[in-house]
Amino acid sequence: MKLEMITINFTINGENQQLDIPAGMTALELIRDKLELKGTKEGCGIGECGACTIIVDGRAVNACLMFAAQLDGREISTVESLDQADELDPIQEAFAKQHAVQCGFCTPGLLMSTHALLTEKSNPDRSEIVKAISGNLCRCTGYHSIIAAIEDAAKPQPKEDK
Amino acid sequence: MFDVAYIRPNNLSEALDFLNAKGAESKILAGGTDIMVDLRSGTLNTRHLLDVSRLDDIKKIEVLDGKLSIGAAVTIAELLESETIAASAPALRRAADKFASKQIRNVATIGGNVAHCSPCGDTIPPLLIHQAQAVVANPQGQRNVTIEEMASGPYHCSLHPNELITHFILEPKPPEVDFADFQKIGRRQELAIARMSMAAMASKEDDDSISFLRFALGSCTPTPHRFYEIEDFLMGKIPTEDVLWQAGKILAEKMLDITGRRPSAIYKEPAIQGLFMRMMSPLIQ
Amino acid sequence: MKAKYKIIGQNIPKIGLKKRLRGEPIFSADLELDSPLILRVLRSTRSHADIKRIDYEKALRLSGVVGVFTAEDIPGKNLTGIINKDQPLLATGKVRSVGEPVALVAAETQAAAESALKAIEVTYETLPAVFHTTEAMAPGATKIHEKGNLLFSRKIKKGDVDKAFRQCAAIVEKTYQTTYVEHSYLEPDAGAGYVDYDDTLVIFASTQNPHYDHKELVGLLGLEDKQVRIIQAATGGGFGSKLDMNVQGFVGLALYHLKRPVRMIYSREEAYQATAKRHPLEMKLKTGADSQGRLLAMSATITCDTGAYASYGIAVTSRAAVHATGPYEIKTVAVESRCVYTNNPFAGAMRGFGTPQIALAHESQMDLLAQELGLDPFEIRRINALKPGSKTGTGQELTASVGIGKCLDEIRPYFEQAKTEWQLEPIGPYKKRGVGIGCMWYGIGNTGVQNPSTARITMDRNGNVTLFTGCADIGQGSTTVLAQIVAEVLGLAPDSIRLVVADTQCTTNAGATSASRQTYISGNAVKGAAEQLADVLLTEAVNKLKAPKTSLHLDSGFVRVLDNPAKKIEFSWLARRIRQKGLPLTWNGFFDPDTVPLDPETGQGVPYATYAFACQLAMLTVDTLTGEVKVEKIVAAHDVGKAIHPENVKGQICGGVAMGMGFALMEEFVPGQTLSFKDYLIPTCADMPEVIPIIVESPEPSGPFGAKGVGEPALIPTAPAIINALADALGERIYQLPANLERVLEASIKAGHFGPKEVKNV
Repeated sequence: MKLEMITINFTINGENQQLDIPAGMTALELIRDKLELKGTKEGCGIGECGACTIIVDGRAVNACLMFAAQLDGREISTVESLDQADELDPIQEAFAKQHAVQCGFCTPGLLMSTHALLTEKSNPDRSEIVKAISGNLCRCTGYHSIIAAIEDAAKPQPKEDK
Repeated sequence: MFDVAYIRPNNLSEALDFLNAKGAESKILAGGTDIMVDLRSGTLNTRHLLDVSRLDDIKKIEVLDGKLSIGAAVTIAELLESETIAASAPALRRAADKFASKQIRNVATIGGNVAHCSPCGDTIPPLLIHQAQAVVANPQGQRNVTIEEMASGPYHCSLHPNELITHFILEPKPPEVDFADFQKIGRRQELAIARMSMAAMASKEDDDSISFLRFALGSCTPTPHRFYEIEDFLMGKIPTEDVLWQAGKILAEKMLDITGRRPSAIYKEPAIQGLFMRMMSPLIQ
Repeated sequence: MKAKYKIIGQNIPKIGLKKRLRGEPIFSADLELDSPLILRVLRSTRSHADIKRIDYEKALRLSGVVGVFTAEDIPGKNLTGIINKDQPLLATGKVRSVGEPVALVAAETQAAAESALKAIEVTYETLPAVFHTTEAMAPGATKIHEKGNLLFSRKIKKGDVDKAFRQCAAIVEKTYQTTYVEHSYLEPDAGAGYVDYDDTLVIFASTQNPHYDHKELVGLLGLEDKQVRIIQAATGGGFGSKLDMNVQGFVGLALYHLKRPVRMIYSREEAYQATAKRHPLEMKLKTGADSQGRLLAMSATITCDTGAYASYGIAVTSRAAVHATGPYEIKTVAVESRCVYTNNPFAGAMRGFGTPQIALAHESQMDLLAQELGLDPFEIRRINALKPGSKTGTGQELTASVGIGKCLDEIRPYFEQAKTEWQLEPIGPYKKRGVGIGCMWYGIGNTGVQNPSTARITMDRNGNVTLFTGCADIGQGSTTVLAQIVAEVLGLAPDSIRLVVADTQCTTNAGATSASRQTYISGNAVKGAAEQLADVLLTEAVNKLKAPKTSLHLDSGFVRVLDNPAKKIEFSWLARRIRQKGLPLTWNGFFDPDTVPLDPETGQGVPYATYAFACQLAMLTVDTLTGEVKVEKIVAAHDVGKAIHPENVKGQICGGVAMGMGFALMEEFVPGQTLSFKDYLIPTCADMPEVIPIIVESPEPSGPFGAKGVGEPALIPTAPAIINALADALGERIYQLPANLERVLEASIKAGHFGPKEVKNV
């Protein structure tokens, strides 16, 4: 079976990419199988769990529901873009501090939803947090530690005196 | 990975040309959230995906000549963020707020939701109360299709394969209307398909009687409907607890007239009255 | 005040945290392999049928298809099962439910594998099928297994219930029902493997019990122990489902024949179809009390539908029977609990093993009895709560760590406040508020059978300590807790301890991560090994420090004199000395709980060495017109013996509450109809009530630092508390889970709440 191919150009985690891919490849397959970025997970394949959440042009989306072709011309971030040189970013730190990680499978998706939220609004209230992450399912934590982590990450960071 | 081809036309005219040539083997891709699910489950089989999500012509929200125009490719998130929608179609804004999840709202479109013709589509009851018409482009030019005419049955869109919704024309909320709402019952608070939904807009005279009312019901009938019987019943009446209960009863009867006594009626018959009371109670003095 | 322990009770950073935050490729679907073949399974479309032929020639000829295997290709014994072996890896002779694996396909690509599945032709001859336990138990019913459809029966008999019932002032007799529930862990089952340079089959598995997987693989493939190696990959939740093998057997079979790397990932749809579910239970309970509310008699008939294969059916059946009394002392008890085969898909372990179901029953009975007698639901529980000296239904005398009273006492002020203030606040004519309590007890470890854990600790010549444990961490934090135990005993920082976890080539069997047993059982095994090392170090240090052993302690990699810390000797020095003497630097720990098998006729015995206890309070609002329920607050008091990592405990409690709430209100798996995540709803963060976790510590003398367990207890009281709160709100009780929109509205209508404010039907 010969699949129809197309060429797409996009930026992912700060890097420009030009790829020839099957037209019917999903964004999730592109990220995991073609680009070998395994942080983005498949939990259900139908947009009902959020484990595949990535950021496209600043917005949180389910990678399993997008065609790779739709990424053409766009800027994409996955969980791999968060930490720099082994230092966790403030949102990751907050998740660590608030014990918001158990099995860890839902974690990358949640981190990306959180990033999109805090970029859009730096100090969201609880209802805005809930709205932002109700599409991210977690079966382990019961969510409260996750909400605490996001509230923690959203707090204005104290200025450091040198 | 699906065996499909992908085309992204640069403008509306290219899109229409493609549909003209290959409409029968194509599916219009906007957000893609329904398409991907249907491809995966095998309910959809198509050769071409025509991506219209970036056509500026069909992404505008504007008020023109006293009518509210919403481009078919406007996303649910954009509906939620739009001040124009908040002012002119608040029930639609409420529906957008309750739509699926944030990730899905960010890409799903109003055109996609309407064209999918799900009995449970959240945008449909609000569109109905705004007497929305879809402006549909085809090789001959364009035609208007009311929301009610869009679905010929559950998940069956009446549009022809070479047609494309460009935008929706809505009657904006009249300035005197201060009550507009959309409510839905799902099996959980968020990311839930509507078990039932309803949208309404109303205003009252100085003597408290209802002077304007539009009401639509979703998820209870094979295709969503305006319910003129309820509107007729309540027009001119003062909405008391009792009057609203009576209206709710009529609504339940009329729904059952359409659906018959299916097993789900055991729940839906009373619940529809309950949701109606909850939604309409703010009208009680 | 100086803390008693340095590391125990501290919320140290979770081990493995950073990898998960960074999205490192640690799950089976992520692991890098060299051009792995894709494996897929062809599944039965019949509920009960003889297999006449399997034609796969066409499939084998398809481009990209490398192998097709059936039962005939299994070199060893084609029979698996975690308790009794009744489940083939690939169907042989007949299929017993829809979804049963019939053939295994290995292909170069996903698409080729799919095509192969479509090209395999199976000729079935349909057999009559039964889908309900009553049908299955009827005389002449189609036999699903040779031995008949009744798999197992657990009876408990204590005293004379009939006589005792005659003395009761109030008797309540009701039937309760629960349905299939799906674990819905976020990581769909997955595994991968390759053949190592020495021909060892290396299998990565998303599993809760790697050593069990190993045993099954060795049996299936007819190999020596060392020829198979199971490594637990990061496992994205399990909740009991990943105790049965999921893909391990298929991975092993493919490796055995094809000698090429392979990977197998279930789609969510396949995970739904192919894996274990929570047993549906039908429970008839009759409970009686005297006029003061003291429980005199309880009889129960429990039927568990275990589906086509046993899996953990026997354990669920036994546990439900033992726990049917609830955490209360009841003078006379008569229980019969049966495990029945049907042609439904198989049911297996799910968090709680029958206790979430039976807790619904015993806690509803308590509220109903309280109502009959005009007692407060809190009071009736306090009167009957187990305490040291109490005798359980199986005749076990509890001696210590019986924290149910304490849990109730913690909940009391919240209960009072909810009843006297919260519930009386005006909230409009069509909403009602309800307050409910649910209590539970949960025996730690497997019921009345040996379930030991082992561990090994080594020290190298530089004084570095390595812990080898076969204990699978599935997110609950067992690795962290075990490291804490070693750290406390040896006076080390937890992150200085090397950990080798769940790799059958290196670790020894710790038993399954199930039955909330790992902290208690593996904790003890690990503690035992660490204490042996500690003793050896202290003994060796006596000569060097010229101080008696009792004056020494371990601290930060040194042995020090307690009241003269400058006098010290480092571990590395001691290690070298011990080596020079020719003594080994390896110590093994072992622990098996002290139990007595249950008598087959009377169920008398000691099923568990220790029990966890809890009480939860639910506060909720019901919309009486639509059946919608909003759980506003859950207060959860859990006796865990000792919280080794308090935040882990709270995390378990919060997660358990979420799962319990789903069980109560929205989760219902219908085989054949529930196909994907769209069809099966688990709570999102928007559904969560406020959760107040309260850790109660009633130390267990036989537990490591007094600890017991919390993994399953966390979930058990929630649904009972919610159902009791609903009954409180509506004045009408629901006896069947889930209490979904339909059932709640039906109850509301029955109780006369539906209708205009002024006019109500009575």
